[in-house]
Amino acid sequence: MAAWDLCVTVEELGPEAPPFKVSVTSDLHIGGVILRIVEKTQIKKNWSDHALWWEQKEQWLLRPSWTLEKYEIHADARLSLTSQHKPLRLDLPNGTTLRVQACFSRPVFQTVMGVCHLLNIRHPEELSFLRPVEEKKKKEKEAEKDVVHDLTALKVMSGTHNPATLSNGMPVHFADSPQTEAVYKLLSVSLPAPPPETITRMLRPSGLMDKAQVHNRWLDSSRSLLQQGVKAEDKLLLRFKYYCFHDLDPKYDAVRLTQLYEQARWAILLEEVDCTEEEMMLFAALQYHIGKVSLSEPQPTTSCPAMDDLDSALKCLEVKMESEKTRVEDMLEMAPELQDYLKLFRPKRLTLKGYKQFWFTFKNTSISYYKSREETLKEPIQQMNLKGCEVAPDVSVAAQKYCIRLLIPEAEGMNEVYLRCENELQYSRWMAACRLASKGKTLADCSFSSEVENIQSFLAMQQSTPGANNAQTDEIINTHSLVSRRYQKKYKAKQLTPRILEAYQNVSQLPLTQALVKFLQIWQALPDFGVSYFVVRFKGCRKDEVLGVTNNRLIRINLSTGDVAKTWRYNTMRQWNVNWDIKQMAIEFNGNVNIAFSCVTATCKIVHEYIGGYIFMATRSREQTEGLNHELFFKLTGGHEAL
Amino acid sequence: MMDDIDAMFSNLLGEMDLLTQSLGVETLPPESSSSTSKEVNFTMGFADMNVESLNELEENDFDALMADLMADLSATENKLVAELEEQKDAKVANPDLPAPPRELSSYVVPSLSTTTSPDTGLNTTYTPLADSHIPSFSPPQPPQHEKPSMEDVEAQIKSDKIKLALEKLKEAKVKKLVVKVVMNDGSSKTLMVDERQTVRDVLDNLFEKTHCDCNVDWSLSETNPELQLERGFEDHENLVDPLSAWTRDSENKVLFQERTEKYEVFKNPQNFYLWKKDKKTLKDMKDRDKELLVEENFCGPSIIVPDLEGVLYLREDNKKSWKPRLFLLRASGIYYVPKGKSKTRDLVCFVQFDNVNVYYGKEYKNKYKAPTDFCFVLKHPQIQKESQYIKYLCCDDSWMMTLWVTGIRIAKYGKSLYENYKTSMAKAQLTSAWNNRSTTTTSTPSTSSTITNAKASGKANGYAPQPPEEPVANIGIEPPPPPPLPPAQILPPHPTVKRSPSPNATTKKLPSLPTKYPPSQATIFNLPAPPLSQDDISFLPPPPDSDFPLPPPPPDPAFCPVTNRVPKPAPPPRQLYMGADVPAPPPPPPPSFTPTSSVIKTAPLPPKRTTPMQAAPPGGGDFMSELARAMAKKRANQ
Repeated sequence: MAAWDLCVTVEELGPEAPPFKVSVTSDLHIGGVILRIVEKTQIKKNWSDHALWWEQKEQWLLRPSWTLEKYEIHADARLSLTSQHKPLRLDLPNGTTLRVQACFSRPVFQTVMGVCHLLNIRHPEELSFLRPVEEKKKKEKEAEKDVVHDLTALKVMSGTHNPATLSNGMPVHFADSPQTEAVYKLLSVSLPAPPPETITRMLRPSGLMDKAQVHNRWLDSSRSLLQQGVKAEDKLLLRFKYYCFHDLDPKYDAVRLTQLYEQARWAILLEEVDCTEEEMMLFAALQYHIGKVSLSEPQPTTSCPAMDDLDSALKCLEVKMESEKTRVEDMLEMAPELQDYLKLFRPKRLTLKGYKQFWFTFKNTSISYYKSREETLKEPIQQMNLKGCEVAPDVSVAAQKYCIRLLIPEAEGMNEVYLRCENELQYSRWMAACRLASKGKTLADCSFSSEVENIQSFLAMQQSTPGANNAQTDEIINTHSLVSRRYQKKYKAKQLTPRILEAYQNVSQLPLTQALVKFLQIWQALPDFGVSYFVVRFKGCRKDEVLGVTNNRLIRINLSTGDVAKTWRYNTMRQWNVNWDIKQMAIEFNGNVNIAFSCVTATCKIVHEYIGGYIFMATRSREQTEGLNHELFFKLTGGHEAL
Repeated sequence: MMDDIDAMFSNLLGEMDLLTQSLGVETLPPESSSSTSKEVNFTMGFADMNVESLNELEENDFDALMADLMADLSATENKLVAELEEQKDAKVANPDLPAPPRELSSYVVPSLSTTTSPDTGLNTTYTPLADSHIPSFSPPQPPQHEKPSMEDVEAQIKSDKIKLALEKLKEAKVKKLVVKVVMNDGSSKTLMVDERQTVRDVLDNLFEKTHCDCNVDWSLSETNPELQLERGFEDHENLVDPLSAWTRDSENKVLFQERTEKYEVFKNPQNFYLWKKDKKTLKDMKDRDKELLVEENFCGPSIIVPDLEGVLYLREDNKKSWKPRLFLLRASGIYYVPKGKSKTRDLVCFVQFDNVNVYYGKEYKNKYKAPTDFCFVLKHPQIQKESQYIKYLCCDDSWMMTLWVTGIRIAKYGKSLYENYKTSMAKAQLTSAWNNRSTTTTSTPSTSSTITNAKASGKANGYAPQPPEEPVANIGIEPPPPPPLPPAQILPPHPTVKRSPSPNATTKKLPSLPTKYPPSQATIFNLPAPPLSQDDISFLPPPPDSDFPLPPPPPDPAFCPVTNRVPKPAPPPRQLYMGADVPAPPPPPPPSFTPTSSVIKTAPLPPKRTTPMQAAPPGGGDFMSELARAMAKKRANQ
């Protein structure tokens, strides 16, 4: 067989080096070609990761036993010998940029799996790579400033499905050096709230059209990075793509949960998903809480109530039991009391009476008030049980106004009462007591003191001159950092504080993981949650419309009004076809319902992969958490080349 | 009220005194003396119950109430006995502690009655009764004296005591209500509900009393005639809480009835989640797809609320006009779209669900000049009278109303709703399984006809319309169109035999198991004569909370006069007559039908209560219950 020269560039020799010429015959297999090149370079190194890449055809030659003939490689082919794993800069949902070794030769689906394995994120099938938005020149400077955490040296022990973890949940491979440990912490602990300007500056979708544009940037899961034009050291975003989060377990999912939370939080802050004012306040309160608890809780370990320690509890009780009667009395009564002079005001129609001072006592869940301290032994003027009541702050630190507004339900309606406190401390204690009482808890409840602290720290946020507030300043965050631009515009930071505080009272006692989970739950309960939009043109229609793809249905949406015209559920779907030539998708549903559309904002492949991907996600069973059916995934999402 | 608290207090203090004493004396307790003193300690403060309201109760109500109270007493005794036995078993010289002073701060929830007369303690009425059976209650023998060899044992004793003390302290504080429940047929039943009982518990209780088919639609609901409101309680709610909000002169009622809309969303989720689709598609929905819908919306990480939006009429504050507005339901509340604003961005919150409940408004066309009669109302449960804080909404048709009310319930209760449904289903299936089993196994004419009757009546009949009969009479009368089979023949296939000995431990973990079902009731029946009326038992709080050992030891003869007066559920003879013409479906045969005398021979021993502490009421997030739970865990490990 005739020998001919094959041109191969070798990465190691630098881009300028002239291509190698190797004399080959067509029946030489790829492994042999590589061997010859390596011998010729005379470079001693581990070549095991290298493979041949066929530039013209954008194809990897990964089968060493295939001959050149079988690959149909002729003398005109330009090949390059290059490593399969290259560094890639990855932007995670929380904004951290990591430099990791990623596989450039295998389908992106598997590359993502590899990366997730490294980062200890379970269920990598839910994530994918998104190309970054093309940055304008102005922003390039900032991009350079980005801190990149290099994890390229990190190696996961092979073999196991899940990397071995240390007791604190950190995978062993992160424990190599303090640097990597710090990176792991960065990944698994949510970051403090960004400055409000960041939120304002960041790109946010202004309509369905914008929301649809995002999806154009997903990489194709069935092709390799290099095939899709991604080069070493390029930047990609790692994001959750499919909004069905399988088997989320805080115990194993520290990184996953945190990153998911960060993605959700940014989706909220950037108005990618609409939420109402009330919902925004709750999100803000949760963010505030999560930020606060993340700082205090060093590790997101599974929090177990102190009661687990039975012996100490017993001991504590025994002490109480064995002490004399007065102590027993304490125990029975237990409830400490609050008592003080406060001012009372009842807004009623046609009365202009102002605040009047009374002696107030707070016991269990009730407030009683008397004319003066001396009359405490007599019947109170009134007793109000706060169980089930609404408590709202009416506070202005600047004006030294500390009022508590109570709406106490009674048979005849709501009884509106204002209590005015003298100072911050008094206010925070009475407010905390009212809050607890409204939930049916007494002052004896262990959350009382933390509730008081919470109220105080919130008051601090309202302080008009943060500079004057000495040591705590770094803890104080701007409430504008917690809400989207819409609400930044609508309210001043000071106005937001009481609103967020109001929402905060319901979440302030949650441990970190529960707060994260709660945030995700509320996010997932939003009507627009998990809808990925694509602008499409339905067959026979003249106007562009929007196709919403979710985990269980397709939605046809009017582009201009946003109204839902029709929904089709996957479980009524019979089959779908893609005509790659005319770039049209045709879907058949039960009952002879057929729809066909061409995709405008994203390629057909992306839409097809989205739908197929969701159907794949639905095939995952609850029990089986390990081992994915890759074949099925590619079958459902791949294009013609995969079939 | 103050006296009441004082009394309770001094009792508790006395109690604590005893406790501390016994803690000091490590080994020998004055067993008999303490148990007697405990009897004396029974005081019953009927804080709010007064003579007039009692007079207004029907005779049988009063009897039922009495029975309840007696059951309480006997239960406490039984518990004591059980504890003693347990200690004996453990061969540990465990000083027993006196029983708690059981302060029953109960009062009658007025039903159709106004109560204005001054409070009168009923202590005088009851104390003699309580006293009267002291002599008959033979104090258990002091346990055998063996020196505890290990320190462990001492610690165990100590922790047991603490645990017991805690339990008693808690028990003493439990609030109880006497509730009159109106049945479908207009009759009523009176039962005692303590504050730890959920609606589910009370329903189970009522199932036993009424022998209805236990299907999932049975619910308890409250009506408010003044506001013309009605609301079905959710199974996980505490019953005492909402009832405590009623005013003293309230004409509100508690109803026991079937409400199909209660769990309709789980039976036909498509009607709620795909309500926009055409009727035919919805009707033809396959079961598999329905399941999928339920799974999607209720089994995910967060509950999905039906995507409701539509024009509802809102009653303007205290005006006679109803204004149409576009309302939307979201998980976080009901919103409306201000005129000329966008639907996505400018939603205004109308109400959030934390502090309100949703009620059906009845005949509002008439009362408030509503556009239709399909109205629902959102208000704080405490509000009982006309107020500006009540929100009235009116829908175009009844279906929209059901949609909205159900949607709001899903948003408000979330997962609990589904949990409730699953519990109800388990219950219903268990019942029907048992019924089927009994029909197939004992395919005797008598059994099937009994069942027929219960089904034919189809409703939870109160016992009132049927003349109360003495339990003893049951055996005697038996008019035989088909003659009842000899007991021996009925017995073998009876499920009781297999199921009843189920250990307490399992029943506690799985409250749905038939602790209080006909099977175990039959067990109760098997107790030696004189037969204890099963009504006594069924008045007890159901398994999850029960601090009382379930099947009590041989009852005290002193009870008989009382229990016998308690009207029994419909006796078999009558049912046999009525059932004869109707085909045979499967509700539980009334336990009263089981031939008492025959079963005694094979009667399994009443399950012994081994770990009373595990029954500590759930849900108490406080220190005490935490401790109790931890304690139980620790014991289990040892």
